[in-house]
Amino acid sequence: MKTVPSKILPFPCASNFTDRRALRKDLLVALRVSGPPVIVDFSACRTLNYEDIDLLLECVAQAAGRDSKVLFVAGSRVNRVLLEVTRISSLVPVFNSVKEALAYPQIAAQDDVEDLRAS
Amino acid sequence: MELGAVVVVPAREDGTTAIHQVEPRALTASENPQPHYSLRMPILGNDVLRSWMERVRKLGVQSLWLTSSPRDENVASSALARFAQQGIERLLVIKLKSYAELDLADLLRFHCESRNPVTEAQDARGQLGVSLLDHLALRASGEKYEFSCAPTGTGRTPYQFRGYAKRILSARERQELVGDGLTGACAMRPLGKEIREQVWIGEGVQLASSVRVIGPTYIGARTIVRAGATIGPFASVERDCVVDCGATVERSTVLPHTYLAPGILIRRGLVDGGKFEDLDGGTVADLQPARLGSRIQQRESRRQAFEETATDVSSWAGSASTWDFAASSMTSQPWLQVRL
Repeated sequence: MKTVPSKILPFPCASNFTDRRALRKDLLVALRVSGPPVIVDFSACRTLNYEDIDLLLECVAQAAGRDSKVLFVAGSRVNRVLLEVTRISSLVPVFNSVKEALAYPQIAAQDDVEDLRAS
Repeated sequence: MELGAVVVVPAREDGTTAIHQVEPRALTASENPQPHYSLRMPILGNDVLRSWMERVRKLGVQSLWLTSSPRDENVASSALARFAQQGIERLLVIKLKSYAELDLADLLRFHCESRNPVTEAQDARGQLGVSLLDHLALRASGEKYEFSCAPTGTGRTPYQFRGYAKRILSARERQELVGDGLTGACAMRPLGKEIREQVWIGEGVQLASSVRVIGPTYIGARTIVRAGATIGPFASVERDCVVDCGATVERSTVLPHTYLAPGILIRRGLVDGGKFEDLDGGTVADLQPARLGSRIQQRESRRQAFEETATDVSSWAGSASTWDFAASSMTSQPWLQVRL
């Protein structure tokens, strides 16, 4: 049984200031809990504008130097391409789906440990 | 025997013609993959249309006709019949979809010897978009024009070309052509001065002292590359671009009048203004909303310089004239006569 599930944060597409602030807050709370990676899911976003890129970079910056890792779920090829040209994909692991992100070795390994502990 | 020549330039989807166009704008073509960029965009500073015109001129043809076709790059059948009526015995039709180092004189000789009404040039990958029609085919086309669509093997012997050819409709093949031009694997040479081994730059290029240029690479005329940027290897940044601080362009092409934002990484891609095409996946991403790239608005001075060097066909030898087909049924297709 998985006792500490990975935190999945939906990225606010076409967001306003309040939505962005909320994501920042949720991210910081999730990162404070040492252990499971935090998954930022923006697969629902058709494309990314400069504010989205800024917010994603902020997520990367917040996670830097912490025990918890941030993972991105890009969803579309277009979003992936934008992460590549901004070099974000060289800083953070990027996945096509939440399912893929959950299968990320670090999460899978952590889940195994939790399963062992639980049993 | 009179030989005529037609070059078919794909037009934009909205039906406006590319043949009068001076400013580079995104055109579309019907082939897959569909390029978001104009087929008239330079490759290492060279214009593929001009290279075809030069080959036609070497055949001894005095003038050629340029036309623009929105979808399938076909010439209207009524136009072909009109050529026959005007005494053209053989017509060379070139669809601007490939760069091929084709010996047109050899194609003509083959056509005469094989006595086919239509001869199409093809390589191992298929048709190159270059065909020769004789007067019988031209007259027959008045009733039905089928040469561009019919499969080979219907009584026609195609001309097998074994030389160098690349389809410029595909961004990936276009990039291969860039690589071949930079390394001397084809006859196309970068239009500029070779400042060191396999590094060419055009006139008026501004490179900051901290810029890294890794050959083989081409940087087109009047392009500005700012501090800390890296260009190359196998990169082609065409004329009038701005590559901002810390940006990297590697194994990619940047088409004219493109601005690239600071720190951007262009790897295995083709950028045209605000559009980026990934050469491996074919994904086209819009860089503009993310403020990563955009089309540079031409200043008057730059526009002037561009127009002087533009490969717009109306400037070719300064002697273009339009063919008045107002009375015919083919007015939907624009025509321009260019003396060679």
